[in-house]
Amino acid sequence: MQLTINNQDYEVAADPDDMLLWVIRDTLGLTGTKYGCGAGICGSCTIHLDGEAVRSCITKVSAAEGVAITTIEGLAMLSDDGEEVLHPVQQAFVETQTPQCSWCMSGQMMTAAAFLASNPQPTDEEIDAAMNNNYCRCGCYARIRTAVARAAEIAQEGAA
Amino acid sequence: MTDKTTNEKQKSTRKGVSRRRFLLILGGGVGALAVGAVAAGPTLVREGRLAMNTLFLTGDAPGTAPPKAPFVWFQIDADNTAHLYIPKIEMGQGIHTALAQVAADELDLAWETVRVHQGDAERGFDPALIFTFGSTSVTALYQPIREVAAALREMLRSEAAAQLNVAAERLVPVGSAFMVREEGGDNLLEPPITYGQVVAAKQGEWKTPETTSRLKTSAEFRYIGRSIERVDLRDKVTGRAVYGFDARVDGMKYGAVARPPRYGATLKRAAAGTAGSLPGVIAVVIRDGFAGVVAETRAKAHAALAALELEWEGGTNISQAEIEAMVSIPAQGGTLIQRVGDVEANGGGTRVEAAYRVPMASHAQLEPQAALAEVDGDSVTITTSTQSPEITRDRVAAALGIDAAKVRVVPAYIGGAFGRKTGIDVGAEAAILAKGAGVPVHVGWTREEDMMYGYKRPPAVNSLWASLDADGRVTAIHHELASADILLNPDIGAPILGRILGTDPLAAGGSLILYDFPNRRVVYHHTPIPVPTAYWRGLGSFPNTFAIETFMDELAAAAGTDPLDFRLRYKPEGALGDRFERVLNAVAEASGWRRTPTDGRARGLAAIYDRGTVCALVVEASVENGQIRVHRAWCAVDPGLVINPDGAANQVQGSIIMGLSSTLKERFTVENGMAAAQNFNAYPLLTLAEAPTIEVIAINSGDEPVGGLGEPVVGLVPAAVSSAIFALTGERLRELPFTLA
Repeated sequence: MQLTINNQDYEVAADPDDMLLWVIRDTLGLTGTKYGCGAGICGSCTIHLDGEAVRSCITKVSAAEGVAITTIEGLAMLSDDGEEVLHPVQQAFVETQTPQCSWCMSGQMMTAAAFLASNPQPTDEEIDAAMNNNYCRCGCYARIRTAVARAAEIAQEGAA
Repeated sequence: MTDKTTNEKQKSTRKGVSRRRFLLILGGGVGALAVGAVAAGPTLVREGRLAMNTLFLTGDAPGTAPPKAPFVWFQIDADNTAHLYIPKIEMGQGIHTALAQVAADELDLAWETVRVHQGDAERGFDPALIFTFGSTSVTALYQPIREVAAALREMLRSEAAAQLNVAAERLVPVGSAFMVREEGGDNLLEPPITYGQVVAAKQGEWKTPETTSRLKTSAEFRYIGRSIERVDLRDKVTGRAVYGFDARVDGMKYGAVARPPRYGATLKRAAAGTAGSLPGVIAVVIRDGFAGVVAETRAKAHAALAALELEWEGGTNISQAEIEAMVSIPAQGGTLIQRVGDVEANGGGTRVEAAYRVPMASHAQLEPQAALAEVDGDSVTITTSTQSPEITRDRVAAALGIDAAKVRVVPAYIGGAFGRKTGIDVGAEAAILAKGAGVPVHVGWTREEDMMYGYKRPPAVNSLWASLDADGRVTAIHHELASADILLNPDIGAPILGRILGTDPLAAGGSLILYDFPNRRVVYHHTPIPVPTAYWRGLGSFPNTFAIETFMDELAAAAGTDPLDFRLRYKPEGALGDRFERVLNAVAEASGWRRTPTDGRARGLAAIYDRGTVCALVVEASVENGQIRVHRAWCAVDPGLVINPDGAANQVQGSIIMGLSSTLKERFTVENGMAAAQNFNAYPLLTLAEAPTIEVIAINSGDEPVGGLGEPVVGLVPAAVSSAIFALTGERLRELPFTLA
């Protein structure tokens, strides 16, 4: 079947029932998307399907055919001169020094990016609600809040 | 525990070193868990045990002999890039950044020239040195790295002086380069000569200095003490960082291993059954006590396990109630581990007593165990998330029956460990499967495997009583604890130590009463259980601090004294007491301890000395809809010199969240000899919306780091929360996780 990931087409031999996470990670080698629980609880495997945050560990690969898949590797952009330009969420997570081990952070950032795309100027309560379903065992929660708010600011500054 | 006096210098004799590079290998002393202190023999009587336990518990044990391998590896290229190989593993604690700051400061590197790499056996590092544990990395390596860097700086300076034909004293380091000071003046003359230029132009052999070079004073630091951006974050936020679960090599396949139905069960008989003919299965590997499958995908490998014919024997069918009965304090016996004054003779007056219980917990690190094994003839390379490459190496060597020298362990980034990534080793499983299948094999445990088969935080029970005289003064305190094992776990630790000490020294950590009560006694009860238990963040300091500090709050209440004043009154003697006073006052000031909190909220306080660091925590909590809610936390920490204040704050913040998760949520139980919970649906963690805001006050109390920061704070959290809830409702919470009456 054909998958479109980060604007690139991949032809993959996969069973339709295979979970998208493992096709992305193991078959295609895009290991930035992480496995945490396989049950859609921890959020480490969060990716975008047509801009929506989904849990790739409980999403069948067949559901991703014909859909634009974005993973953490596709969040940053390349500038005209080929430099990597971090997404505002990535910028904010670095600026606030939020990640520790960072195993959960791909999922945190993908969740935040989809959330901010739909709600560019969130309240603190909205950030709490949007980010409440992603575990961080290193305990970076206070910084994640700050980072998501900061990402909204960066995006606004960029848009202005 | 750093042995600073036994530096020895070695010259690199490694092959293949380009003359355009500059290499120096210097050894030195390093502190380690001092198992070597246990040489006095197995028949120590009570007094000997008391002395030995005191050594372990206060961290004053002598260090081991200095290793011959390097502490740090510098490589300066002609283009002036400074590669720095760090012998500790990055698991989110920021150690690659902090140690690079130390090295770059003393070597006077321009920060943008620094490239940090994981040190491994390829560069001669002793795998034992790479063991990353116990919040010891900075304190153990701070001084040796500075000494090596200073020696290197002086070698570069004298070589640059020779090349420029000026006196070395006139060369001023200006960041990966020297400038020449004008004769008889202060002006620096252009152009600078870079370290890379000096290295490139070097003719002949480098000579290591005979004497220790002068180290910078704290006033001269450029990087130490600054919140420098973490060196690993760019790769992490872009998904490029490679963890053990991400390790890949061409042609690799995926392995899964059969697990027992009960703890302690062993494989009596195994046959492939129909597993070998299932789609995608490449090999079924069966050998003594082991059965596994290698397949094209992880899912196929795991599915094929069900087709194996397995017969298990032995093991336990223990229940949670039986575990709790085992981990309890008997009427007598135990090992005396602290004795100050005479508790019995001063145990009259008003008696206050309480008992506390801490359940098992899962580490729940979000990256489960994972390793890639590549077998090449009689050698094997393991790429894995491990805290201890040494243990991985030895386990793999034993599993394959080969010499440890034939095992190369490549430590990858760790996706969370908290003590979980040492000991029981997935590397050996991958190696057995790779050898059996004849292809490289990656084994990544499922969450279910990690939760069910990973070792757990040992359950513990603490019981305390104290006597107060008519004036509310504490005359005696007695602390008795029982814990399942950490270091004495026969599969991962050093059980011999238990027979000598009569304790598990890691489970007993933090159990001594440091407050200046005139009569103190602590007794340890060794209560192993047939469920694997071992290292969990903070070790014994988690349950012991919960118990002691909550009891301090109970004593303060009994004495009619404010909990802050009570601790100040009984602060430890001497310099340690001064440090207690500083952190207590700092956290009281920051939290507004003396002011009344918002309506419906109350505050609780706890303090600790652990791993060289003194910390005090205040939390502000309320009860909403029958649930405890912690809104704010303030934590003052004094680890001596702070290398990276923001990194230090991050460790403290994370410890508070992990501690709060244990305080409010986590209880791992066993039914019928196996984990009751298999995944997060049955073992939920604290979430973001439940997290307090946290303010960290880092106190720089000296010119050198004296303590670690990864662990001391975690045990403060349940004590502070219990005390806050008492202040709010009058109810004492003494068993984790807390549930309100």
